[in-house]
Amino acid sequence: MDFPWLSIIIFLPAAGALVLLFLRDDLAIRRVALGVTFADFLLCFPLLLGFDASTHEMQFTETHTWIPGLGIRYALGVDGISVLFVFLAALLGWICVLASWRAIETMVKEFMVSLLAMQTLMLGVFSALDLFLFYVFWEAMLVPMYAIIGIWGGSRRVYAAFKFFLYTLAGSVLFLVGIIVLYFQGGKTFDILALMQADLPFALQSWLFFAFLVAFAVKVPMVPVHTWLPDAHVEAPTAGSIILAGVLLKMGAYGFLRFSLPILPEASVYYSTFMLLLSAVAIVYGGFLALAQDDLKKLVAYSSISHMGFVTLGIFALNGQGLGGGILQMFNHGVTTGALFLFVGLIYERTHTRSIADYGGLMKAAPIYTVFLGLFTLSSMALPGLNSFVGELLILSGAFAARPVIAAISILGALLAAAYLLSMFRRVALGAAEVGERFRIWDLTRREVAAALPLAILVIWIGLYPKPFLTIIGASAEHLLEQVHGVEGTE
Amino acid sequence: MNQAQLLQSVVASLPEIVVIIGACILLIVGLFVPPGRRHLLGWAAIAVILLAAALTFAIGGENDGAYSSMFVTDQFSRFFKGIFYIATALTLLMSRRFIEIERINIGEYHALLLFALSGMMIMASATDLLSIYVGLELMALCTYVLTGFMRRERRSNEAALKYVVLGAVATGVFLYGVSLIYGLTGTTELSAIAAAATGQARDPGILLAVAFIVAGLVFKIGAVPFHMWVPDIYEGAPTPITAFMSVGPKAAGFAVILRVFLNPLVAVSEVGLVVAVIAVVTIALGSFVALVQDNIKRLLAYSSIAHSGFALLGIVAGGPDGIASVMLYLLIYTFMNIGIFAAIVVMRSERVQGEAIEDFSGLARSHRALGLLMLLFLFALAGIPPTAGFFAKFYILVALIDQGMVAIPVIAVLLSVVAAYFYIRIVMVIYMREPVAGTAPAFTPDLTLVLAIAAAGTILIGLFPQWFLDLAQSSILQR
Repeated sequence: MDFPWLSIIIFLPAAGALVLLFLRDDLAIRRVALGVTFADFLLCFPLLLGFDASTHEMQFTETHTWIPGLGIRYALGVDGISVLFVFLAALLGWICVLASWRAIETMVKEFMVSLLAMQTLMLGVFSALDLFLFYVFWEAMLVPMYAIIGIWGGSRRVYAAFKFFLYTLAGSVLFLVGIIVLYFQGGKTFDILALMQADLPFALQSWLFFAFLVAFAVKVPMVPVHTWLPDAHVEAPTAGSIILAGVLLKMGAYGFLRFSLPILPEASVYYSTFMLLLSAVAIVYGGFLALAQDDLKKLVAYSSISHMGFVTLGIFALNGQGLGGGILQMFNHGVTTGALFLFVGLIYERTHTRSIADYGGLMKAAPIYTVFLGLFTLSSMALPGLNSFVGELLILSGAFAARPVIAAISILGALLAAAYLLSMFRRVALGAAEVGERFRIWDLTRREVAAALPLAILVIWIGLYPKPFLTIIGASAEHLLEQVHGVEGTE
Repeated sequence: MNQAQLLQSVVASLPEIVVIIGACILLIVGLFVPPGRRHLLGWAAIAVILLAAALTFAIGGENDGAYSSMFVTDQFSRFFKGIFYIATALTLLMSRRFIEIERINIGEYHALLLFALSGMMIMASATDLLSIYVGLELMALCTYVLTGFMRRERRSNEAALKYVVLGAVATGVFLYGVSLIYGLTGTTELSAIAAAATGQARDPGILLAVAFIVAGLVFKIGAVPFHMWVPDIYEGAPTPITAFMSVGPKAAGFAVILRVFLNPLVAVSEVGLVVAVIAVVTIALGSFVALVQDNIKRLLAYSSIAHSGFALLGIVAGGPDGIASVMLYLLIYTFMNIGIFAAIVVMRSERVQGEAIEDFSGLARSHRALGLLMLLFLFALAGIPPTAGFFAKFYILVALIDQGMVAIPVIAVLLSVVAAYFYIRIVMVIYMREPVAGTAPAFTPDLTLVLAIAAAGTILIGLFPQWFLDLAQSSILQR
C-alpha cells in the first residue's frame, strides 16, 4: 500500500476542526484554520506532480473494506477529471479562511469548524470511488453548508438556508434510491468502477438517468430547479458564496461525468439533446436574469447559472472538444466566479451595500481592487487570452458539431455575459460618481491580495497556456467518451 | 412439567426473575430510604439491570421449550433485551434531576420502571399469545402509572387517564383476537397456530382474528390509525418516561409484531399490503403534523410516529434483511431518541419547563456543548449521514429494494424530506436565534453520561455499522 495521500488530504481539515473545538481565542482559531487549509493545499502538489496524465486509470487509490455485509468499501482514487477539483477545493479552502478573516466576528469557532468540515466533505466527494462513500460525503455536506448560510448569512438567511437544505435534500434522496437500485442491478456492488462495466437494460438506464438528474440538476443548478441558488448566494457570507460557486456547483456536473455518462451511457446519448436544450435555456435565461440585477451578488449568481449552462452544454455534446472544454470550464468557473464572489465580499465589507447603483468611480478610491475586479470580470465574459475563453471556445465548437442550432442559441448567452458584466464593471468602477466620498474605502490589504493573487495567476495561465490542464484532463476525457460511445457502437 | 423441565425453565428466565425480584426489593426498601438518599434507589435499579444483562448474555444458548413452549431464549430475544436494558438504564440515569425538580422522587418510580422492563423482556421471549399478553399488560400497566406520576400536573393526569382508557381498549381488541384464534385452532401457541393454519384454505375467521391482533399491536407502536394517543401521552408524561416509552415499549411492540408476523399464519393472510399502507400513511401523518408543533415533546411524538412507520417498512420488505433492518433501526433509534430527550431533560430547571421550542432559542451561544449535541441528534433523526440515523434508513431501503419494491422507497424518502424540515427548524432555533434569558440548563454527571453514551452510539454506529449489522443479521428469527 502506497502512502495514503488522498486520505490525508481529505481528513486533515477534519482533524483541524477537532483541534479548533478546544481553542478559545478567536485569533488562534483563525490562524489554525488558515494553517490547516494551507497545509492541505500544499499536500495537493505531490498529488499533481505525481499524477500520471498518460492514463485514464484511477491513481493514488486506497481500498479498505468498510461494511462488507453490504459490499461497501472505503475506496478513494483520482483520475484526470477529479484531480483538478481536489486541487480547486484545496485552493479555495484557504482563500475562504482569508475571506472570512474579518467578515466573521460572531461564533468564529463554529464558523471555522463548519468551513473545515465542508473542506473534508468536498474533497471526499471528488475522491470517492464507492457510491455509498460518495453519497455519505455528498449528503453530509448539507449540514455545514446549512449552518454557514443560516448562521452567518444576511437578513433573509434562515429562509435561504432552509431552501438550500430542502432543495438539495429532495434532489439527493431520489439519487439514493437510484444508487440502491443500481446496487442490486449492477451485481451487488457499490464500486463505481465495477458499475461502469455493468451492462444495464435501457429502460432501467432511463429511470436511473432521471433519478440522478434530479440530484445533479439541483446542484448544478439547471433551470428549472435553480431557484435556491440566488437566495443562497445572496444570503451566504462571502466564504459560503465562494464554496457554493467554486466547488458545490461543480459537484452536479461532476456527477454527470462520474455516474450518468459512464454508468448509463445509452440513456446519456438518448437524452443528450434534451440535456443540451436545458443547458441552452439555462444559458440564455440566466443571462437575461443577470442583466436585470442591481444587486452585485445576485448578478454574479445568475451569471453562474448561465455559465454552468455552458458546462453542461459541453458535457452533453458528447464529443472530445465539448467534454474537454466542459471539464476545463468547470475548473475555470470555480476560479473566476469564486474570485468574483470574493471581490463582491471585499467591497461589501467596506461599504455594506451590494447595490450597483450605490457605486461608481471605484477606480480612484481603490485602484488595485479595481484592476483585479476588471481582470476577473473580463475572465468571466471569456475575453480571449483569459481562462474562460479557452473553455467556452472548446465547448461551443463541440456543441456546434453536435447540435448546431442549440449551439447558436447559446452564443446569445456569451453576448449577454459581455453586456451585463461590462455594464456592471462600468457602473461600479468607472464613471464620475465618487463612491470614495460616501464610504470609507481603502484598497486591498496584503491579506486580501494574497487571497486574490493565486486566482489571478490561474486566470492568466490557463488563458495563455492551457496545455498542462488539458493534458491532465485528456486521457480521462477520452476514456469517458469511449465508455459512452463504445456501447453505442456495439449495438 | 417435571422437575428438570421446571429447572430448565427457571434458568432460561433467570434475567426476568432477577429483574422482578429486584423491583420487589426496591419497592420495599424504598419505603425506608430518606428522601435525600432516594437517588441510591436509581443506582440500585441500574445494578439490577446490569446483573440481568450479564445473566442474559452469560447464559446464552437456545432454549425454545421453557414453560411448556411459552417462552424462549434465542438470539432474537437477546437482541431486543439488549435494547430494553440500554433504554431502561439510560432512563434511570436521566431521571434523577428531573424527578427531584418535579418532586416525584419516590421509590415506586424505580420499581415501576423495572417492572415495565420485565414486561418487555417477557414480550421479547414469549412464543405463546398468552405469555405475550402477560408481558404486554405488565409493561402497559406500569407505563400507565408512570405517565401519571406527576400528580399535581393536570397534563400528566389527563395523559394517564387517556392512556389507560385507550390502552385498555387496545388490549381488549388484542385479547378478542386471541380468543378467536383459540376458538378456531384450539391453541394459542404461535408455532402450533401456524401448523394448524397453513394446511387449510384461507379461513375468514382467522383473517379477522389476525386483524384484531395486529390492531392491538399497532396501538403499541403508535402507527396509524391507532396513533391518536401518542402526542397527548408523550406531552403529559414526565420527560424521562416519554423517552422511555418512545424506545422501550415501542421496541417491545415491534419484537412481538416480528414474532407474530414472521409466522406463516400471517403470511397466508396476506397482510403485507395492509402493513405497507399503514407504514406509508404513518410516515406521512407523523411528518406532516410535526411541522406545526410548538412543543418539542409533541413534535417528537409525531416524529416518533413517523419513525414507527419507517421501521414498519422493514416488515413490509420481509426476508432476513427486512427483519434485520427493523432490529437495527430500533437499536439506532434508541440511542438517538434517548439522546434528544436527555437534552430536553437538561433544559428542565426549577423555573423553566424547557418544552416550548422557543425555549431553545440561541442555545448554541449560551450552551455550546448542548447545542452541538442537539444538532447531532436532530440530524441523526433526520437521517443525514454520517450519523447512525442515515444507516438505519439506508438499510431499510436496501431491504425494500432487494424485494423489488421501488415505489414505496421513493415515497418514503420524499416524506423524509418533509420530516427533515421540522428537525432543521429546531436546529435553526438553536443556532440562528438570539439567546433568551432565563434558561438554565444543567449538566449533572448522570445526564452528561447519558448524553455521552447516546452520542457515542449515534456516531459510532454511523461510522462503523458492520459489527451492529452482523449482530442484527445473526439475531433474526430462524424460521
